[in-house]
Amino acid sequence: MPTSASIEGRDEPAVIRARGLIKTFGHVAALQGVDLELYGGEVVALLGDNGAGKSTLTKCLCGVYQPDAGELELAGRPVQLRSIRDAEAYGISVVYQDLALAPDLTVLENIFLGHELLRTGLLGRAGALARGEMAQRADAALQALGIDLPSVRIPVSELSGGQRQAVAIARATMWTRAGILMDEPTAALGTRQSDIVANLITATAARGLGVMVISHDLPRVMEIATRVIVLRHGRVVLDTPAQGLSRRDVVDAMVGYAEEVHG
Amino acid sequence: MAEHAVSSRPAAPERGERRAVLQRVAGHPAFWIALIDVALILIFGLLSPNNVFWTLGSFQNLAVDSAEALLLTTGVALLLGAGEFDISQGANVVLSSVIGGKVMLALGSAGTLPAILLGALTCVACGAGMGAVNGIVVTKLGVNSLVATLGTLGIATGAADLITNGSDLAGFPLQLQSAFGSRVVLGVPLPALVALALFGVAWLVLRFTRSGVRILALGSSRESAVRSGLRVDRLLIVLFLLTGALVGVAGFIDISRFGTTNVSGHQTDALASIGAAVIGGASLWGGRVPLLGALFGALLAVILQDGLVVVGLSPFFQLIATGVVLIAAVHLDQQRRQRSGRPGRVRARLRS
Repeated sequence: MPTSASIEGRDEPAVIRARGLIKTFGHVAALQGVDLELYGGEVVALLGDNGAGKSTLTKCLCGVYQPDAGELELAGRPVQLRSIRDAEAYGISVVYQDLALAPDLTVLENIFLGHELLRTGLLGRAGALARGEMAQRADAALQALGIDLPSVRIPVSELSGGQRQAVAIARATMWTRAGILMDEPTAALGTRQSDIVANLITATAARGLGVMVISHDLPRVMEIATRVIVLRHGRVVLDTPAQGLSRRDVVDAMVGYAEEVHG
Repeated sequence: MAEHAVSSRPAAPERGERRAVLQRVAGHPAFWIALIDVALILIFGLLSPNNVFWTLGSFQNLAVDSAEALLLTTGVALLLGAGEFDISQGANVVLSSVIGGKVMLALGSAGTLPAILLGALTCVACGAGMGAVNGIVVTKLGVNSLVATLGTLGIATGAADLITNGSDLAGFPLQLQSAFGSRVVLGVPLPALVALALFGVAWLVLRFTRSGVRILALGSSRESAVRSGLRVDRLLIVLFLLTGALVGVAGFIDISRFGTTNVSGHQTDALASIGAAVIGGASLWGGRVPLLGALFGALLAVILQDGLVVVGLSPFFQLIATGVVLIAAVHLDQQRRQRSGRPGRVRARLRS
C-alpha cells in the first residue's frame, strides 16, 4: 500500500481521514478501499483518469453518497454523513464545477444564501435582512482573498466566469471551518481566469483550510498542490508530496504504468 | 439598468447620482407600465362622454375592480419568482367563495357579525388549503406546477359546481356589502385598501427579508438553493399556501362586493394575473419579479376593461389585448435571456 508522506509530525487531527472506503454501483466497484487524509493548510490534488473514482470519492466525503463500507473521520471524530448539510455542519463544503450560484441574486445574496444575517429586534424577528452588515463581511472576505469585484450588490449574472468561481470559493471559505472540496474549479474558465482561481486556492489554504482539488488541468494543479493523490480503478495508487514530483510520474500512476513496473 | 448603476462612478458625484437615480427609475419595468396606465386614463377620459372616466366615482370603481386582480397578481408574481406557476387561481376564487358563502349562510341565524367573520375566515382558509394542496402536489408528487394547477383547476371547479349544483349562492347578510364590499374609507373602497395592504406586505417581504431572497433563489437556480441547504420543499409548500390565502381573500371580496357567488366566472383570472405579472417585468424563468411592475400591470388590465366599456367598446378587447401582450412580453424576455447566454428552461422543465 502507498503510504502518505505527510501524516507524520502533525499535531492537529486531519480535517478529513478516510479508511477503507468502498462504494459500488451495481457491478461497478467505484471505490475499492480508499485511504486518505486531508490536513488544514494543504492543497491536495486528487487526480485520476476518467472513471478512476474521483467524483464518487468526493461525493462520499461531502455526504452526497454514503459509502458501503469504510470509516470517515472529520476533525478526529468518526462521522456518518447523510447529506451536504451534514458535511457543512462538520465544516466541510464543496465548490462545484458548474458555478452553482443563483444568477439573478446579487453577489451578497449568493454568499449569504442559507446563512443570512438578520437585523436585531422586532424587524429581525420578522426576517428583515441586515444588508449593511452582510455587505461589510462579504467585502472583508473578498478582500482577504484578493478578489476584486465592482460591487457586491450586482447580480451574479453580470460577472465573468472567473469572477463567479471566485464568488463561489469565497462563499465556501466563509461558511467552512475545516475543508473545501473543489470539483474541477477551472473547467469552465479561460487561462487568465484559471490563474485567478489558482491563486485563490492557494490563498484559501494559507488561511488554514484544507483544500482538495479535482482537476484535469494537470500542469496548473501541480503548480498549486502541496500533495498529490492519484486514484486508479477506485484505489489510491500514489500519495506523495508534490515537491519534486514530475508530471511524468503522475501520468504514469494515472495510466497504471507505475503499477506494472513496481508492482 | 443595473449595468449603468455599476459602471457609472462619475467625477461630479451629485449630478451623477441624480442621473443614476433617473436611470434606475427609467430602467425599472414598473415605470413604463405606470406611464402606460396614466396615458390610458388620459385617453379614456378624453374619449368618454363628459369625461366621466375622470370622476371620483369612476376612480373608485377602478380601485374596487382592481382589488381582486391585484391579490391574484401578487400571489402569482411571488410564485413566478420562485419559478412556479398557478393557473388554478380563478377556480380557487370560486371554490373558496362558495365554501365561505356556505358557512356564512349556515351561520346566518347565529348573528350577522360572527357569520361574516367566520365566512371570511373560511374563504381565506379554503384558499390557503388549496394553495397547500398545489404545493404538496408540486413538491411531494413531483408534478410540474403548470400541470399540477391545471389539475387542481379542474378539481376546484368541479367541487364548486357539485356543492352549488351550478347555481350561485345568494342571500348573504346585507351588512356584508355595506360594511365591507361597498364600504369606502377616506375616499378609497375598503376591498382595494385590503388588497393594497396585502400587496405592501408582499413587497416588503420580497425586498427586505430572508424569505424574499430565498424565494428568488428558488426560481433563479433551484440547484444552488438545494446546495445552499435551503429546505426547498417546505419553502415551496408555504409559498403556495400563502399565495393561496391571497386568493381566498379575493374570494371573500368577490362575494362581499356582489352579494352572490360567481361560479361560472373567473375563467380568465389566471391569464389576467400571469399576464399582469409578466407585463410588469416578471420573468417566466423565475428569479426576477418586480412587484411594483406587477401592480401596474394588474391596473393596466382593469383600466382597459373599464375604459373600453366607458367609451362604448366591447370589454372583450381587453382579453385579446392581454393575450397578445403576454405572448409578446414572454418572447422579448426569451430573446433577452438568449442574448445573455441563458436559454429558457420551460421546455426542459416540462419534460422532467
